[in-house]
Amino acid sequence: MVDPTPDAAPPVLELQHLRKTFRVGFWAKKVPAVRDVSLALQAGESLGYLGPNGSGKTTSIKCLLGLVVPTGGHARLFGRPASDPHARARVGYLPESPYFYDYLTPTEVLDYVGKLYGLAAADRSRRTRELLGVVGLDEAARRPLRGFSKGMLQRVGIAQSLVADPQLLIWDEPLSGLDPMGRKEVRDLMVELRRQGKSLFFSSHVLGDIEALCDAVCILDRGVAVAQGHLSELLRPDALESEAVLGMSAQTEAAMLALRALPEATVTLTPTGVRVVLPTAAVAALCRAVADLGLDLRELSARRDSLEELFLRKAVARGPEAAA
Amino acid sequence: MTTPAQHKGTPAQPPVLHIAGIGPCLGRVAAVAANTLREAGRARLFYGVLGAAVLLLAFSLVLSDLALVDQKARLVQSFGMAAIPLVGAVSATLLGVVLLHKEIDKKTLYAILPKPIRRSEFVLGKFTGLAVLLGLQLAALVLCWWPVLVMRGGALTPALGRAIGLCLFELWLVTAVAMFFSALTRPVLSGVFTLGVLVVGRSNYVIADLLGANKGVFVEVPAMRALGKVLVAVVPDLSTFAVADPVLHGWSVPWDYFAAAAGYGLSWTVLFLVGAVFLFERRDLT
Ligand SMILES: Nc1ncnc2c1ncn2[C@@H]1O[C@H](COP(=O)(O)OP(=O)(O)OP(=O)(O)O)[C@@H](O)[C@H]1O
Ligand SMILES: [Mg+2]
Repeated sequence: MVDPTPDAAPPVLELQHLRKTFRVGFWAKKVPAVRDVSLALQAGESLGYLGPNGSGKTTSIKCLLGLVVPTGGHARLFGRPASDPHARARVGYLPESPYFYDYLTPTEVLDYVGKLYGLAAADRSRRTRELLGVVGLDEAARRPLRGFSKGMLQRVGIAQSLVADPQLLIWDEPLSGLDPMGRKEVRDLMVELRRQGKSLFFSSHVLGDIEALCDAVCILDRGVAVAQGHLSELLRPDALESEAVLGMSAQTEAAMLALRALPEATVTLTPTGVRVVLPTAAVAALCRAVADLGLDLRELSARRDSLEELFLRKAVARGPEAAA
Repeated sequence: MTTPAQHKGTPAQPPVLHIAGIGPCLGRVAAVAANTLREAGRARLFYGVLGAAVLLLAFSLVLSDLALVDQKARLVQSFGMAAIPLVGAVSATLLGVVLLHKEIDKKTLYAILPKPIRRSEFVLGKFTGLAVLLGLQLAALVLCWWPVLVMRGGALTPALGRAIGLCLFELWLVTAVAMFFSALTRPVLSGVFTLGVLVVGRSNYVIADLLGANKGVFVEVPAMRALGKVLVAVVPDLSTFAVADPVLHGWSVPWDYFAAAAGYGLSWTVLFLVGAVFLFERRDLT
């Protein structure tokens, strides 16, 4: 999905025809969670992972981290299998809804995590102090997690994923559960991490966040990757539709008739005037009509394909028959 | 977000990771073990069990008042030697079954296992933490019991000390068994299985004797005979560690017996731990 790099450096993260089928219940009934997902992320890039609820995002992320053993295909980190601790040493993972030992304080959680990475005591206490500041938890640093709110736990989760200064961040819904300030702070943090050359792989349901933070996206639907690529390629800049806003004078009978007669035009009345949406190819005809009728053209813009529309087209439009 | 922008999330000096080699491996095991100890130290359940045990020993003080003068020390001794291993075995079963399962159930493992730690290291760390914890609990119980024993004219003889030492090896074995079953199945079921191993293990020699006899179901019904043989073979013989009665009758628990029993216990412990790791490594954590 990404430009093939001339040198042999493996992608920081790679899924190849990943498949995972769970067995549930006494009769071991098969539940397919991931059917066929292939993707790759090159160093320094950021990839957004989208898909409706239950489409298999969390499951495929767990395969990447060795929490779940794939039924088929491969999951690799830095060219190594996910089961290799050396590969995981360079990854910071934020679980979907982060749970930690509720008898520990944030300081103790970060210290424990630092020990698992083999950090020296001095490094651990320095990192703990730095990160508690970054996620804004200095105040609560010495309180047990038992009484923490969802957003506070999310902040602990983000901090613990950064302890070892990893090259690759795998964050499962990093922006959920946060207040508006927190969302902005975490978005800023992600921009900053990207600027520092880290690779980012994260899932989200908020398309605006993905659009603002990612080079590329992968859209998942019922366990299948239905669209992936750079946003610039997926969201065609050569917009197919344009939108015009005309002044009140367009609300006369004759003007409305002329506008409705334009090819494939949708004309709607708004409190301030008339909105016309039509194929970009027909803009010339619109301009002629405006000149002929002496209308007041206030705005004319190309309607770009938004991520939302892409998502709806790819994920929802697949219809229920695809589930079979 | 108080730090300057250029340091956000990234340290001024990158931290040095120590992953490969035996030292970092032991470091991770120790980290998990320390956290396990801390968890127990902050859990009310643990203090509850400890408090109940202390009460039980205090009860033996009262009970011994009812005994004849020359029987008082004997009563405290046999009561303690029954109660201490029992409390230990219950703790070992509960902790071994609950702690591993709790990590999966509360999803705390999701944040830990993606770190550069092997699942085997995690299991070993949990076991080490529990082993130390049970040792501390045993020491605490003995420390409560000792004064009572002395008060009633008894003494903590070297033989008694070795008998208590053997208890510890039994507790470690029970912990490993509990962790093995908890890696295999759900907590209630694994608790039942562990208790089963405890009961069968304690009466292992009875079954062996019955198999050797020339009468009874174990001899006459072929299916029962096969079952009996399997049980004797796969369930560790826990009566090896139960030497309270012979000690009460003056047996000294010679060091060579102690060493052989300890070796027997540790071998079984390692075997069950290897099994637990084997099962746990194949498990999906969802
Ligand atoms: N342990 C499990 N046993 C059985 N089925 C499971 C298990 N875990 C996940 N699934 C199923 O796998 C599918 C994918 O779940 P997953 O959690 O990966 O979705 P998701 O894309 O992360 O959804 P969301 O956006 O809600 O987080 C779902 O149908 C879910 O029911
Ligand atoms: Mg999910």
